[in-house]
Amino acid sequence: MSPLSTPHKPNDRSLLPARTSKSFDSLYRDHVDLMYRFANRLCGETEAAKDLVQETFLNAYRGFKKFRGDAQVSTWLYTIASRACLRMRRRRKGEPDRELSLDEFIPTSDGEFRLQIPVDGLSPEEALQNKELRQALDDAINKLPKKYRMVLVLRDMEGLSAKEVGTVMGLNERAVKSRLHRARLFVRRELSARGMTETAGAQDRLSLE
Amino acid sequence: MVKRTAPRRSARSAPKAHEHGRRRCLRILRALSAFIDDELSDDVCMEVRRHLGDCPNCEDFVASLRQTVSLCRHQPTPTLSSADRARMRETILQTAGGR
Repeated sequence: MSPLSTPHKPNDRSLLPARTSKSFDSLYRDHVDLMYRFANRLCGETEAAKDLVQETFLNAYRGFKKFRGDAQVSTWLYTIASRACLRMRRRRKGEPDRELSLDEFIPTSDGEFRLQIPVDGLSPEEALQNKELRQALDDAINKLPKKYRMVLVLRDMEGLSAKEVGTVMGLNERAVKSRLHRARLFVRRELSARGMTETAGAQDRLSLE
Repeated sequence: MVKRTAPRRSARSAPKAHEHGRRRCLRILRALSAFIDDELSDDVCMEVRRHLGDCPNCEDFVASLRQTVSLCRHQPTPTLSSADRARMRETILQTAGGR
């Protein structure tokens, strides 16, 4: 028996049974790539994404006994990661978090209505072979206030349903759809404004020649 | 008398370009994500379709919004190396066991 006089805390993680560790291994193996992809999309940089993945699985390890299997494992992990991301980002400075109003996306001229994304009739896969477009899309998503970015990433990039996004973020479906619409309008404006700038730049160059 | 009413009616029904005004466009713009995601009821969906057929501005707008969603769906992300995967697992287990 242990000669230690101090009593063991019941939640001492070093005493977790080997079974938990084995279950954790399979949880980690099956979901680490999914969580890394999600974390990259949320954080926009690989080091922060790795931190977030570690934080997520650490919290998952600790909360393992509480997971009752009501939700899918992936939904549970998305929820843990989203909460961890909110905490991590709160610690960082300069992260703008504001409400997006629909009014700011309403075009005020025919030209604004008709702005297009510069994809030149290519399929999305082909268009995204262009490094500048990939970067512009990443930049646009990173510029979104975090609560809008999370909804866009979960719904349009991770492919969750609006109901699942609601479960992960603790929102009703109506709120999810409202945020999603604003987030898409934001990204559309960022990407098409870039197209406009490029076109204007090209025209400027032409007029100088 | 018949001649007097007929031209009036035809003048009223001949639409000017974009005569439906911005108000209807705004109503449509609010519904475009639900339209793209096929979440609208049949009658509202028909209303949106009819408007898009009639309004080149909104038709262009929905095309660019669809492209935005499509690009998000296909944006590639970096993958984790097996060395990083193993190293991160070790860190997690050490941190969990060490507290």
